Amino acid sequence: MSRPVGIEAMNVFVGMAALDVRELCTHRGLDMPRFENLLMEEKTVALPYEDPVTFAVNAARPIVDSLSEDERNRIEMVITCTESGIDFGKSLSTYVHKHLNLKPNCRLFEIKQACYSGGAGLQMAVNFVLAQTSPGGKALVVTTDISRFALADANAVQEWAYSEPSSGAGAVAMLVSDSPNIFQIDPGAYGNHAFEVMDTCRPGPDTEAGDADLSLMAYLDCCAGAFEDYSRRVEGADFRQTFSQLCFHTPFGGMVKGAHRHLMRKLYKAKPQEIAADFDKRLGPSLAYGKRVGNTAGGSVFVALAGTIDTVDLTEPIRIGLFSYGSGCCSEFFSGVATAQSKQKLQSMEISKSLDQRYRLSIAEYEELLSGGAVIRFGTKDTKLDHGIIPGAWPTTGMKDRLVLDTVKDYHRNYIWI
Amino acid sequence: MDSKQIADMVIAEIRETVPELADQPISPEDSMAELGVDSIERSEVILSTMEKLGLKIPMVQLHGPKNIGELAELLFNKSAG
Repeated sequence: MSRPVGIEAMNVFVGMAALDVRELCTHRGLDMPRFENLLMEEKTVALPYEDPVTFAVNAARPIVDSLSEDERNRIEMVITCTESGIDFGKSLSTYVHKHLNLKPNCRLFEIKQACYSGGAGLQMAVNFVLAQTSPGGKALVVTTDISRFALADANAVQEWAYSEPSSGAGAVAMLVSDSPNIFQIDPGAYGNHAFEVMDTCRPGPDTEAGDADLSLMAYLDCCAGAFEDYSRRVEGADFRQTFSQLCFHTPFGGMVKGAHRHLMRKLYKAKPQEIAADFDKRLGPSLAYGKRVGNTAGGSVFVALAGTIDTVDLTEPIRIGLFSYGSGCCSEFFSGVATAQSKQKLQSMEISKSLDQRYRLSIAEYEELLSGGAVIRFGTKDTKLDHGIIPGAWPTTGMKDRLVLDTVKDYHRNYIWI
Repeated sequence: MDSKQIADMVIAEIRETVPELADQPISPEDSMAELGVDSIERSEVILSTMEKLGLKIPMVQLHGPKNIGELAELLFNKSAG
């Protein structure tokens, strides 16, 4: 029997501003009945002075603040997981490490594999703990992704249309250790499915390209393949019986619904009514936060996990199955257990309240941000951020508990607490 | 089963999946996207047709056809091969 391992503490940072997706779809002239299939309500929009570093640090800080000095000193690895990197060489982890005031004896690096990055990061951390090379050591895993495309003209907006309503932003910080108070991983219970495919990609700093059909097909193939590999490793695993709840990578809720239906038909030849009831029961809770932040890429499966833990009945411990998928592509199905303590601990992060507190952007404000004039492009050498660009979005609490980007000098990003 | 019959199966699945298209004329030259079948529904149409054909291959192998006729042709070739 191996020792316990998993997520000790967790937080989701949902950004400072949000947009009503229904309003956006109306504005773009998208067909409303079809809109319902997205299962989306709002999305987080990153402000120009919010970048992958600020998202990551703002997600992790409440966790680090809640630790004693001794506990904090045992964070020996910071893994940032992202497809929104700001430099080809220097990792986001270096900035995150600095702004969290962590000890110098720390391994810092960044992981990339599209939206699977968070799954990969978590498994690296879990295996660090299981390997016992540094007994008692902790790893901080932070997924951080923003979708911010400087759209030069109407044509570019048109091309982006298929993913615009669901492209969100968010970061999830997870402290991984041998005290899995939030989520105890089932060690060795996992399955992978990977193959090379060009479904969606980020070929340039401000561009995303993709094929919605191919991406969906790869996702469906992976979902079935990864669960099959999980079943090969875990004797008696049954998709319908083993997991009380499920959390899937969520580009938008409709895609999760499609994948769930695919598995239920493939494995059990289940009828539509049974499939719909099972989806509402076992996947409905996982959409609680995702439908309000949009696709958070590397973090989306963990945004789903947070939603599930915060909203389902956890009087009795439950096993949750997770499916992480990243275009290109690689995927993993794995599992773990959440308890009443998980809910109590996660609720102290007040994720739902943070969602409500975001500034509501008007379409005009959103379009101004989208035009890209204020966005710090990849490779910017020197600049000063305009903190007044959306006056209402700037917090006035003065709590010094939120990090924002202030200036860039000789490529070095300087941040301030506000 | 030839590709014409498979095209009829695909069209029947489209009508099943998207009730709004039940009475609309659909030909093999039509593309599902242009008919207003969204990406999730498109994958369902393909999966149901694969099920009926007993075809067990990765879905990504069925990517590329521009219209229903081309999809039927590809499904036919995969079933035969």
